[in-house]
Amino acid sequence: MVQLVPQLLRQQLAELAANDERIDGRSRWQSRDVELEVDILYNAEGSAKVVMGDTIVYVGVKFDTAAPYSDRPTSGSLMTGAELRPVAHRKYEPGPPSPESIELGRVVDRGIRESGCMDMESLCIVPGESVWRVMIDLHVLSDGGNIFDACATAAIAALRTATVPAKRFDVGEDFKLELKSTPVMCSYTRVGGRYVYDANEAEELGGDERVHITLGDEGHLHSLQKGLKGVLMPEEFAEILAQAGVKCAELRELIHSKEA
Amino acid sequence: MMGGYGDIKLLNDDGTRLDGRAVDEMRPVEIKAGVLPVADGSAWVKHGLNVAVAAVYGPMEAHPRKIQRQDRAVIDVRYNMAPFSTSDRIRPGFNRRSREISKVTAEALESVVLVERYPRSKIRVEIEILAAEAGTRCVGITAASVALADAGIPMRDMIVGVASGKIEGVVVLDLDKAEDNYGQADLPMGILPNTGEMAFLQMDGDLSIEEYNLACEYNYKAASEIHVLMKQALLDSASRGDA
Repeated sequence: MVQLVPQLLRQQLAELAANDERIDGRSRWQSRDVELEVDILYNAEGSAKVVMGDTIVYVGVKFDTAAPYSDRPTSGSLMTGAELRPVAHRKYEPGPPSPESIELGRVVDRGIRESGCMDMESLCIVPGESVWRVMIDLHVLSDGGNIFDACATAAIAALRTATVPAKRFDVGEDFKLELKSTPVMCSYTRVGGRYVYDANEAEELGGDERVHITLGDEGHLHSLQKGLKGVLMPEEFAEILAQAGVKCAELRELIHSKEA
Repeated sequence: MMGGYGDIKLLNDDGTRLDGRAVDEMRPVEIKAGVLPVADGSAWVKHGLNVAVAAVYGPMEAHPRKIQRQDRAVIDVRYNMAPFSTSDRIRPGFNRRSREISKVTAEALESVVLVERYPRSKIRVEIEILAAEAGTRCVGITAASVALADAGIPMRDMIVGVASGKIEGVVVLDLDKAEDNYGQADLPMGILPNTGEMAFLQMDGDLSIEEYNLACEYNYKAASEIHVLMKQALLDSASRGDA
């Protein structure tokens, strides 16, 4: 379903931006309230729910065993899938995964994978024969804007509290999945000509391009993505990167607070 | 096909079930309405360890045009299990089971929604199963009914999804996962609590007429209990002002 972007909305967002204001009264770098719950779904070996304003996402982690890739015989594998199902918004329609949902899954995947937070070698069962496959599924139930950060936050929280179901697969005792760090994503959207953090539904509808930044524990970059039509200057990026350092640390603290 | 008699022990010596429930006792049920801010109506139902969320969008223009009906709305239901909702991850997307459940759920809802009020339009009902522990189609119907009511769509009645079955030759209310896997019969029903009509009916396994009658009686008893929770969820949502 193609959504109409009313010129009036764009105009209103531009006027607000000129006065350093936002449509829901937040300041430029302020996030909506974030609620995080972990280990909430029976059958998922790791799970988390994130609520950010009108956005609600669930993430589930499942495991199974598979033969390793021949070039990495002792290395487990990671897969991240995303579904933007019609439950999440009237704009989403049923059908095969859309480019938008594939981008979401891949950007979240890269942040986790490239941070090196998972020791893939620890997921080896029998070298060359059998390794653990970690499958993260991002399930958006309500798209009220910024589903990327909601999904990334829920994904790392679900992973950090996941249990590998070794007993069910008859390969030993269950054990906690070990994570060495907590990569966190922060996303910025151009609204009314300037970047803001954690855009809501109206800001995304009447905004332009977005930038996703995933930072590790040391503040290093692990994934970047510019999405949608639009361009930005290096100075603009430097400004949001500095902001991301602060926000990622806050979210990391929230994620750690849910761990037993 | 249900598992055979005596495959596995499902009843304790004192006649209670493995999880301690009496034969005519339901798993705990929790219901909330108005849980998804973006949808026109929504509901969250936890039934035992099952978790279902339903969203309603519409009435909206029905497209493509060929699905339009001149005299009524069409109800477009999607029942979907999240990949992490089952013990083994399931591949995303429709399969034959979810298509059948979507079809019979839509037909059940069409019998209660006043579809003739909205000619040529479509009402979308999205049922997402987040955790599955036997009986998800019933939980989905209950959630969908509350979501429709939460969306303010006129209905003759809501539908309560309930099931009874048979384990070790004994009729029991509300099968859990082990009972569903190893029991001998399953009788899911969609009951209109105000009129007593059935809008949804399936069964598989082996039941005598007497056993059917008892299972049916259990289902009606459970439906009136769940109906109270459905109404309360809608009242709570309305009084929060976000319905």
